Amino acid sequence: MAVAIRKVSALLTAAVLVLGLVACTAPKSPDQSNGTGNTEMTDVGTPRNQTLIVQTFDGKTDNPDNMNPLMGSYALWRGFRELGWGYLWEMDTATGKSYPELAADLPKVMDASYTKFQVSLKKGIYWSDGVQFNADDLMYTLDTYKAGQGKLTYFGVSTLASYVKSWTKVDDYTVEIDTQNPAYDFATVLGVYTWGSALNIVPKHVFEKQADLATFKNTTPVTIGPYTIKSFDPNGQWHLWQLRDDWQRSAWGDLGQPQAKYVYYKNFGDEQTRTLSFIKNQYDVDTFMSPDSIAAAQKQNKAITTFAKTSPYNDMNDACSYGVIMNLAKAPFDKKEVRWALALSLDLASVSINSMSGQVKAGALALPDTQITRPLFYDPLQSWLKDLQLPDGYQPYDTNFASGMVDKLKAAGTDASALPSGDATSSYGLGWWKNDPSEAQKLLASVGITKGADGFYQQNGKTWEIELVIPSDWNKVMQRVGFSIADSWTKAGFKVNTRQVDNGEFTKVQNTNSLLTAEVNWSSSCIFNANYLNSWRSIMPSNVQPVDSTATLNGNLARITDQSMFDLVAKAGKLPQDSAEFKTLGTDGMKIITENMYYINMMNISTTIPTNTTYWTNFPKQDNAYAVPYTWWSSFKKILVSVKPAK
Amino acid sequence: MAVVRYIAKRFLGYLVVLFIGLTITFFLPRLMPGSPIDNYIGQMQARAGQNLSPEAIQQLRDSLEQLYGLKGSLGVQYIKFLERVLLHFDFGPSFTSYPEPVNKIILNALPWTIALLVTSTVIAWLLGNLVGIVAGYFNKRKFASALEIMGIFLYPIPYYVLALTVILILAYYLGAFPISSTFLPGPLTFQRVMWIIYNSTLPALTLILAGFGWNILSMKALAVSTKEEGFVQFARLKGVPDWRRMNRYVFRNALLPQITALVLSLGTIFNGALLTEMIFAYPGIGLLMRTAAGAGDYNLLYGTITTTIIAVSTAAFALDLVYPLFDPRIRLKG
Repeated sequence: MAVAIRKVSALLTAAVLVLGLVACTAPKSPDQSNGTGNTEMTDVGTPRNQTLIVQTFDGKTDNPDNMNPLMGSYALWRGFRELGWGYLWEMDTATGKSYPELAADLPKVMDASYTKFQVSLKKGIYWSDGVQFNADDLMYTLDTYKAGQGKLTYFGVSTLASYVKSWTKVDDYTVEIDTQNPAYDFATVLGVYTWGSALNIVPKHVFEKQADLATFKNTTPVTIGPYTIKSFDPNGQWHLWQLRDDWQRSAWGDLGQPQAKYVYYKNFGDEQTRTLSFIKNQYDVDTFMSPDSIAAAQKQNKAITTFAKTSPYNDMNDACSYGVIMNLAKAPFDKKEVRWALALSLDLASVSINSMSGQVKAGALALPDTQITRPLFYDPLQSWLKDLQLPDGYQPYDTNFASGMVDKLKAAGTDASALPSGDATSSYGLGWWKNDPSEAQKLLASVGITKGADGFYQQNGKTWEIELVIPSDWNKVMQRVGFSIADSWTKAGFKVNTRQVDNGEFTKVQNTNSLLTAEVNWSSSCIFNANYLNSWRSIMPSNVQPVDSTATLNGNLARITDQSMFDLVAKAGKLPQDSAEFKTLGTDGMKIITENMYYINMMNISTTIPTNTTYWTNFPKQDNAYAVPYTWWSSFKKILVSVKPAK
Repeated sequence: MAVVRYIAKRFLGYLVVLFIGLTITFFLPRLMPGSPIDNYIGQMQARAGQNLSPEAIQQLRDSLEQLYGLKGSLGVQYIKFLERVLLHFDFGPSFTSYPEPVNKIILNALPWTIALLVTSTVIAWLLGNLVGIVAGYFNKRKFASALEIMGIFLYPIPYYVLALTVILILAYYLGAFPISSTFLPGPLTFQRVMWIIYNSTLPALTLILAGFGWNILSMKALAVSTKEEGFVQFARLKGVPDWRRMNRYVFRNALLPQITALVLSLGTIFNGALLTEMIFAYPGIGLLMRTAAGAGDYNLLYGTITTTIIAVSTAAFALDLVYPLFDPRIRLKG
């Protein structure tokens, strides 16, 4: 027995000693030995005070060595869009206006029908290998897109196939492009709209040498942005960018010198381990951390801050909003009264408090309420919303939503100092629908749906069960919002079956009538500026399928079949987008969608981007709003030239 | 001759299992509700700022159907799949990472999974059984009870809680290990190997702790029942010392089912360790399978599932061949 005790004790002690030995030797990263003196180094061998570290937007990527912009599956969100590529026209995400980046100016319209354009390119821009950028690159890219149809999977190849007709080189810095149809949105199709662009210009001198562009990886690419790839993890957890010595000759060199010599995108694991890493100052910018984790992190580390000091704490100007899409052809969703009843039964204040700790900005119209869209849509339609009446004369709009949120958050224990003082509408929105289940019941009763002991009964005597499809944990925020909506409807007396699905199935349900009853969604309301057609152009008869069709929809996800909307969209497509008539049609369209409740818009996507100022300061904040804080938009370019090392 | 017949019979069974597994593997993902094309288009929509025109979406859809090899009847696709896999062991391109070959993606991830899980499984098995035999043989002593309590304490802790606890103590508070792993590209120098070991220690430790408890309890139970066997009692009466009785009589016999469990565990390591990979940002095949299932990436699912089927079937086949060497009682006579 004694022998046994000794041997077991020795075994366990040896195990602990081995663990201790590994910990104590704590080998330096092979790349950390690049550091000199007392300079703190990152694990990838760069000085910490010269490296801006960003939590990756996309988690882990399975093909990290693929950096070919002609194929769609490379890790775009690892800085390629902001640091490596350049665009003819970028979009200022604070104003929603395009500005020239690779182009010398905005496109010149050459004919009255808006089908002929002249594009002048900037001189003095060079690829990272020293070759000058010029019209040959643009011509080559357009030729390649055309030849690559059916082989190259970047969405721009498909987009431009039905958009541009021909292109001609006028001189080394001028190209003329003809479009197939009137193109009032030329700058935002061949340039950037919000964050995406159909046209990613590639270096001709590199790509023309490749035998097969579909399999060409373009690893450690020649870039036109101010950064190049220094190294990356073959396992897909991180990418490291380094500033070019000749950054002034890059696509956005005119913005100023980026302050971070290195930008390191890394996946720090799931939210719990990410939060611990953030507290330990292992990275500087997070993306989409939940409010609870942010609050916990802030308690441990005062250097962690949100965009604003008071609720809702985050920048609430994302280009899209959360809402509920319904299969409008499927009974009883085909009745306006039913859709309104669902909207009035949805207690948005509770949903936002339960799912997002109250950090939301509500929007009653079918688009987000941002600093760009408010003056275009929300302000002009406020009096219409206030006067809006349902068939029984009920006025559903609640202009006190924002003040109500403040009261509810106070009642829930939030300190008054953490809440906006005075007018809270810039924080929580101008208004939303009243939470009135009794009015909802009246509306339902008017179309033969009556409330019983265990739910609502349809005219055929069957209980009405709503299937609400929500994302599973691949989108935790939408998942929480979805559960909260279901809870709200259940409290109002509806029977709700909440079905969590993976991302593949989520998109399939979204696109297929036979699978859709109702779904929490964000794809139907991404209107970023005056160009509402980007979201509405698919509202046309060819994008309508029968109620139980298994065919896939290519748009019109809200399933609108209203002829007045079809006519409006067709008419708007023929107008210049800066014309008064175009703008009027936009507000008219909003009215149609809203008064018919074709889509229950709820709130802007709450984009939580906390920062850690231990190593870098001067991030954009509410009281220092030189840019919006998104690291995956053009605003990151402004951020990079503005941040300052703290040490 | 009997041995040859034995091996041949087992080998035939092995091939049948593989074939059935391959067939089920092909058809099962097709029953999933997700669609790889819809998933890819959803990704492209997100990259385009939700800006894709219906015409562009339709064109992309048509291209992808062609590129992904999803045109034609399911039967035709099945035959092509068998041909590709059986003749060339080629699972085609991943849909979500098109046109990256599935084989390459798996081969990148597999060494990490094998290294981590083989190491942690074997260590947990060894340590757990060594502790378990003492706990079982001396089951009436207080020391042995303490060892059993260790197993009872560890076993029911959910892996996620265990992992976070280990991270909190060893990485967050003590700072002895990194909170998440960082692996660097480059040749395998001594320094790089030490760095890999350092970054892999916490993931391995959590897996060892998770398996350790079960191995203690299972070996303890086996040891208690084997100890009561007649031949052990006889050895005691003969005057064989405790230590020798424990090792050569009880342990050797109680080990047999544990060997089966070990071999089968090693076969299932090709499923990866999904939670470990997510929590520690550790490379491996678990997250690949999860992503493939969520996105409807049929080819990647075929590759990862087939790898698992081959591993488990081969492990079972190997066990059938090796087991008679351990236990003379089950050697078949011709």
